[in-house]
Amino acid sequence: MLKYVARRILQIIPTLLGVSFLSFSLLYIFPGDPAEIILTITSGSEPSYEEIQKFRAEMGLDRPIIVQYIDWLSKAIRGDFGNSWTEGKPVMDLILQRLPASAELFFMTFAISISFAMLLGIVSAIYKDRAIDHFCRIFSLLGISIPSFWLGLILIWIFSVQLHLLPAFGYGGFEHLILPVLTWSFSFMAIKTRFVRSCLLEALSQDYVITARAKGLPKRIVVLRHALRNALIPIITYFSLSISHLIVGSIMVEVVFSWPGLGSLLVESVFKRDFPVVQALIFISGVLFVVINLVVDILYAIIDPRIRYGD
Amino acid sequence: MLTRREFIKYVAIGSASLLLGCAKKEALVTPTETPIATPMYRAEFILGYGKDHRLKGGKWGIGFFPKIHVLEKLVEYDLKNDDFIPNLARCWDIEQDGKVITFELNRGIKFSDGSELNAEAVKFTVEWLKINHPLGSETFESAEVVDDYTVSITYKEAKFFNLAKMAEFHMSIMSPKSVEPEGDPNGKFVLPIGTGPFKVVDYKEEQYAVYEPNEFWYERYGIKPKFKKFVVKFIKDEDTRVMALKSGEVDAISDYSHGGSDYTPRNQLGILQEEGYKVFKRVIPLTWIIAFNYEKVPFNDVKMREAVDLAVNRDEIVKIFDNQVLPARTLFIEDAPGIKEAGVMYECDPERAKQIIDELGCAGIEVNMIVDKAQSDQILVCQLIQQQLKDIGINVNLEILETGAYKQKRDAGEYDMRLYYIGGTDRRFYMRMFWRFHPARKWKAYVSERTGELCEKILTEFDKEKRKQYLIEFYKAIYEEHGVVPLYFDIMTTVASKNVDISYEEMFYYPNGIPFGEPLFYAVGVRA
Repeated sequence: MLKYVARRILQIIPTLLGVSFLSFSLLYIFPGDPAEIILTITSGSEPSYEEIQKFRAEMGLDRPIIVQYIDWLSKAIRGDFGNSWTEGKPVMDLILQRLPASAELFFMTFAISISFAMLLGIVSAIYKDRAIDHFCRIFSLLGISIPSFWLGLILIWIFSVQLHLLPAFGYGGFEHLILPVLTWSFSFMAIKTRFVRSCLLEALSQDYVITARAKGLPKRIVVLRHALRNALIPIITYFSLSISHLIVGSIMVEVVFSWPGLGSLLVESVFKRDFPVVQALIFISGVLFVVINLVVDILYAIIDPRIRYGD
Repeated sequence: MLTRREFIKYVAIGSASLLLGCAKKEALVTPTETPIATPMYRAEFILGYGKDHRLKGGKWGIGFFPKIHVLEKLVEYDLKNDDFIPNLARCWDIEQDGKVITFELNRGIKFSDGSELNAEAVKFTVEWLKINHPLGSETFESAEVVDDYTVSITYKEAKFFNLAKMAEFHMSIMSPKSVEPEGDPNGKFVLPIGTGPFKVVDYKEEQYAVYEPNEFWYERYGIKPKFKKFVVKFIKDEDTRVMALKSGEVDAISDYSHGGSDYTPRNQLGILQEEGYKVFKRVIPLTWIIAFNYEKVPFNDVKMREAVDLAVNRDEIVKIFDNQVLPARTLFIEDAPGIKEAGVMYECDPERAKQIIDELGCAGIEVNMIVDKAQSDQILVCQLIQQQLKDIGINVNLEILETGAYKQKRDAGEYDMRLYYIGGTDRRFYMRMFWRFHPARKWKAYVSERTGELCEKILTEFDKEKRKQYLIEFYKAIYEEHGVVPLYFDIMTTVASKNVDISYEEMFYYPNGIPFGEPLFYAVGVRA
């Protein structure tokens, strides 16, 4: 087991390096001159050529790319992503400042979405091709199809403008959380519901399920104790990986509801070409994804020994 | 055991009770605010605004909103009369052809912390800007205190433009106590302390800013505030802003002070007005134009530019904005200096345009037009122009590009036409004249030998009448050379709910009648 874990950890090192390089190279992949865009947006005046050159020199953009990358990486692995080009503050401070709002929104959405996705997915699979299954499938389809920003605005119109029940925007108490969570949950749970349904349907078609039924076990026991348990492995993986949505998953919801989280920070930073912030957010998001993947892989191996033996 | 039908019934009754309970609770809430100047007004005025105020400074200082409402400038600009009006400065002497301007300050003006505005504060601001702001570094050479209330500023170049710049947002005067250590131009910015109508009391980045009336400012003008607290909530999405107004969570919403972005959707203004909201609208000297790649075929030919000019139907374009903006038949609004006297009118004559294209043998010519994806209104304008030009035989390939890609193509000159804007809020009239038409600038709208010389003369000439003559010649030259095609004049708006009391004059003028380019909120009263 330890050997397996060690090998998996070693395997993620090149992936992490790739993630770091891609995050860093955003600076050069993005179209447009970041110096010009930043100077125009933040100073409200149009910079001269000399000012742009001065900015490049100040930010170290005039050095060879590889030197910039090594410098950036050596600091990034210590949690130092430099200073924001527009705010002048450490990037990590900006991220930590926005993290609580993002975490609050994400984990609330995550909890609600997973609960409902499990419930609807199981019901849908059990009652396959019945009215309730059609309802769940249409519900999922709507969740996938309706853009979050549109749904958000509709919910604001109903609950804030017409009913005056909930605030239309902003970050604050529990009441501020309801509409953004509802909006995000709708799309978040939709695809997961379909995933749970298909995993469970696959499990229900297995021989051991037929055997269990043939033994005369009640349907509830067959579904929950036999089929669902086996179906849970891919479901847990899929749900766990969605934790990486913490940073980038809520962009539209945060913009519509003026939620001061990491998603809106990313959007603002992209528009302002505040590359240290963009690089940090993409890097952290990538690392989060890789690390969660690793943890899930290890858990897999613990839950299902076939995996580590096979490996 | 409940039957399924009973279960559904109880759930329905429970949900309805919950909804009614919430609604009832809302209805029972009574305002608890304490009235201030008169018993009829609420203590708090809440404004929805599209941009963070950056009150902690950021790399290049605070946002435009606090520059307008917390700080003040030495001079203000009256576009209609092309006059620079004393504000913090009571008068000024222009020396060495404008290389040096000596400002004498009004006495008895206090910053919101009670300290006095003096020459040291102006000197500190100039030095701080010189170090910390690109416009400051390209403008100022030095500042010398002559006496307690007189400060002499030396500029890098001798130009009238130096005085015009002093009315600019960025040149707002702040207290030396705004930084730490106090008065150190290299110091760390802490909070803006100014002489303007409001002082900062609380700020949460990307969420809200809370201001209180600056008693010294109100005393200076002999008026009383009608609210105790001014809360500005940052709502970035324009539709959410409108809904926040409709839900009563904010008392008013206002366009970004800078103009041209983060505004209330124009096609909603009429609807809001019909619903009883108060719409305050001011046309500003910000003209949206078609800018050509005039150094490259085919628009290096003045006849081609003329054809486009004649093909554009401005009345159709303003319909995109529900006719809330005005079609631009002149280069700037008629209040701008010299516009009326120039007598230049841009006409729409598609027949003539088609004839020109045919004469040039260019029927069916392919050109490309680039537009920034972030500017959704401009995309619609471009699509309409595409249709109008097709009617005269010009096929426009419209490229809707991400902001960075747009700028990259623009800088590389890989375009034939693009939308652009000239001018700005009133105080930016000369500033944008410089940015858009001066040969020394990188992102020009149009420059020829003739217009470039005229632009330089306009920015150098202190004599108002002579400057006006240069402006008239400039407008004529731009028209004759069809350098740019004016499309429409932008507006600046504030939409307020029915219970907000403020007049148009109070919204756009200082209490002493000085015209102000941007919306002001010092006189707002929100009826309880």
